Amino acid sequence: MLEARNLRKEFGELRATDDVSLKFGTTSGEMVFIVGPNGAGKTTLINLLTGLLEPDQGSVVVHEETGDGTTVEREITDVDPERRVNEGLVRSFQIVHVFEEMTVRENVRVAVLSRYDKLLNVRSRDDQHDEVEATVDDLLAQFRLEDSQHEVAETLPHGDRKLLDVAMSFGLDPEYLLLDEPTSGVATREKEYVIETIVEASEARGVTTVTIEHDMDLVKSYADRLVVLVEGRVFREGDPTLLDTDDELRRVLLGVTE
Amino acid sequence: MSRLSPLEQREGETVVRVPLTRGLTLTIGQTVLALVGVLVLLGLPFLAGLVGLSWGRLFRGLLFGLAAVGLNLLLRHTELVSFGHAAFFGGGAYAVAVLAAHLEVSEGLLLLLAAVIVGTLLAAFIGYFVAGYVDIYFALLTLAFNAVIFATVFRSGFFNYNDGLAVRVGGDNPTLFGLGWTDLGYDLVLYYTTIVLMLVMLLLMWRLIHSPFGRALDAIGQDRTRARFIGIPVERYVWYSFTISGLYGAFAGGVYALQRLHVQPEPTLYVFVSGEILFMAILGGFTTLVGPLIGGVLLVYLLEATRFTFNYYHAPIGIILLAIVFFMPNGIMGSLPDILAGLRRRLSDPGRLGEDLRSIQSMVRRSLTRATTTVRILVFGVK
Amino acid sequence: MYPVIDSFAVHTLNGLWYGFILFMIASGLTIIFGVLGILNLAHGELYALGAFVVFSVVGYATGFVASPDDPVSAVIFGVVVLIAALVAAAILLPVGAFIEAVFVRPIYERDEVYQLLLTYALLLIFIDVMKFGWGTSPLDAGTYGGLNQIPTTEVVGVSYPSYNIIAMIVGVAVFAWLVWFFDQSKTGRIIRATAINRDMATAIGVSTDRTFTLVFAMGAFFAGFGGAMVSIGPQTAFLEMGLDPLVLSFVVIVVGGLGSLKGAFVGALLVGVISRWAIWLYPAVELAAPFAVMLLILLVKPEGLFGTWGEIE
Repeated sequence: MLEARNLRKEFGELRATDDVSLKFGTTSGEMVFIVGPNGAGKTTLINLLTGLLEPDQGSVVVHEETGDGTTVEREITDVDPERRVNEGLVRSFQIVHVFEEMTVRENVRVAVLSRYDKLLNVRSRDDQHDEVEATVDDLLAQFRLEDSQHEVAETLPHGDRKLLDVAMSFGLDPEYLLLDEPTSGVATREKEYVIETIVEASEARGVTTVTIEHDMDLVKSYADRLVVLVEGRVFREGDPTLLDTDDELRRVLLGVTE
Repeated sequence: MSRLSPLEQREGETVVRVPLTRGLTLTIGQTVLALVGVLVLLGLPFLAGLVGLSWGRLFRGLLFGLAAVGLNLLLRHTELVSFGHAAFFGGGAYAVAVLAAHLEVSEGLLLLLAAVIVGTLLAAFIGYFVAGYVDIYFALLTLAFNAVIFATVFRSGFFNYNDGLAVRVGGDNPTLFGLGWTDLGYDLVLYYTTIVLMLVMLLLMWRLIHSPFGRALDAIGQDRTRARFIGIPVERYVWYSFTISGLYGAFAGGVYALQRLHVQPEPTLYVFVSGEILFMAILGGFTTLVGPLIGGVLLVYLLEATRFTFNYYHAPIGIILLAIVFFMPNGIMGSLPDILAGLRRRLSDPGRLGEDLRSIQSMVRRSLTRATTTVRILVFGVK
Repeated sequence: MYPVIDSFAVHTLNGLWYGFILFMIASGLTIIFGVLGILNLAHGELYALGAFVVFSVVGYATGFVASPDDPVSAVIFGVVVLIAALVAAAILLPVGAFIEAVFVRPIYERDEVYQLLLTYALLLIFIDVMKFGWGTSPLDAGTYGGLNQIPTTEVVGVSYPSYNIIAMIVGVAVFAWLVWFFDQSKTGRIIRATAINRDMATAIGVSTDRTFTLVFAMGAFFAGFGGAMVSIGPQTAFLEMGLDPLVLSFVVIVVGGLGSLKGAFVGALLVGVISRWAIWLYPAVELAAPFAVMLLILLVKPEGLFGTWGEIE
């Protein structure tokens, strides 16, 4: 379980996140969606959890199950972003971040090499590790990227780039996957396909996902749990049906986002 | 049987396995080119004179080129522009000179080892500070470190100021492999030792850039943020590659000192030497492994040869660099496939040549019009 | 007057003088970088070109006035020389515009390594152009002796060459004009807007082409002016004179903050004074001292003393 404890981050006068305490992955493989108007601090929260930003206050904690059924907690607030990947904490960005000059396959391969801790290897070719190649094949199949696997990433259509981005994240064998608007910029008819693919992949692996999403229909269809942020604070937390039943929530969200 | 034969089938093509590289292969055509290259290198002391070229100059070109191969690890893969690689070249050269002049070490290979150690440590030291920076900041930081080292050497009696140090002990050449040699013998033994080591270094570099580590460096160069978030310790890896790239320069500088037998600050340590090493890589083709080596030979030869032949020796090189920027951004080796394809097309269809001329003409005309318009506006105002 | 304090003042003044010259080069370098995003390696050669051009102009101009042997003719002489420097710098305006339009404009979108390569190529070509125009031996405009017959100024109790004082005043004037230009004038504000957002500037009808040409030409103008002030003064014009100031100007703009005009001003004076103090106190570190300062700044405060002003990524 991944926990945010009283996280606070200020940019000058602006309090981007204010005393945010949340738990993700209370049940294994949970899908949490974060919604809220623009400037509510959604991305900042992900940045704090993954270490791109340091909080002014509060901490980030992982709870790990030991063999005998008890859990131990470990604070990772001061751990570098690249080391948090080892804690199973993986993220994507709102803008596609892939290695533009590599092929699709090479992109996924780098991530998988990192997962198997083989990046410092200089004694072999990068494409001669059997377990790595097998994992890469699986991922390419799951994200339906086999046909374009030898194409250079920058030439892919936008939707496929988004999928590649997510496929790389899954290549890291995440325990918690934090996705910042995985459907942004994707044509409306493809949004469902992108989310569907992500859901399938995370269910197959028991990954806890935390997704920022603006499309309320998608949220209602796929969320196990909903977190609403407004002005840096947790405004609501609970079942996605709140979107239909909570009038105040509807006013806040619809008033600003639609 | 198949383990012994260097030939192998891969994706329907016959390829040649290269020794020392574990699984790296060349096509038949590439193998032939590589073998010709090696033969030329081996025959250079004898061939150079036949075609009227100076062997010593070519040798020095190869050395600067090797430094450029090292620099290219940063330029091509982590996409960092270092303006301070002369620090490691000069550091290696001065390590040799100081040991010979002050401590009377006379064995050349020992001096070379010292050069590699000193230059690499220097690179590790500087790399530690610069690894977190990118773009112009990285370029200027490396430049600053280089300039401080140059200024210190240039102004210090220990390094004998601008006159530099001789690499001789009691007036004799250093020994090589424990033996004293005649002047010619010394040059030949030094050359062949260097060539062997250089080929090994090229193979190792080739292996490095195709290894998972090389791929991680590519990742860092193409998207630093993403690289961090797939778990690559970016700064540490940049530091490693910076150190490795300095090692190549240090080795080259050490050999340079042994070849010239005299080390001065300006030809080895000056900031503009750093610039030249950088431009060698681009001139030769920084998208290829051996491009920087060829760029090094070419640029050093041009710089040295024109200096003694023409009064105006800067401008021709400037014009070559301009041509590289505008017409051959991938450098000589990188553009080779395009050039060959273009030539082939023109051989089969000579009419294209007229087209080429016309397009060059119109390009020149366009830029001149643009220039005169701009100048007119500046001098006489918009009206 | 105690000799130590005496020489402290002289070396500080020398440092300020050198700093003002550096500022004239660095201001152009920093503006060009801030607006165009190009680090112009050929900038030192524009400075050198100014130094050579003024030599030709001065020889012509001083023919009109008698040699300065009394205060009045000395003042006239000084004014003529100053105008000569301005004329020399003005010649660099079209030179800068030509370079921007023909060579630099096509490569704004390219990798910075090509931009460096291009301006380095221009640097090499400039050296030969100057060699062709003025030969290889250093040139001395020969007016310095005449200028120094203007009564020496008593500054803080130290007799100090008047010419250097004039150069400093000119330097302050240039700085003041640049600040006014970019803060107050319409053109200056358009340039700044362009620096911050090219697309936006284009959208409101600004011709970025013309803005960039103007900026490059301005940079060339001030570099040339700096060179002219130097070679009329105590120093000669020589072919390699552009290299050291170029490299020191890097130091200046990094110390001040890439793209910051005020930063360049403070940085230039700082670097000038530090290098002159080093000459005085411990000559061995004269060359190294400015770079050591730059290293320190980059490692501690990479954005420089004054942060940034234009568009920098």
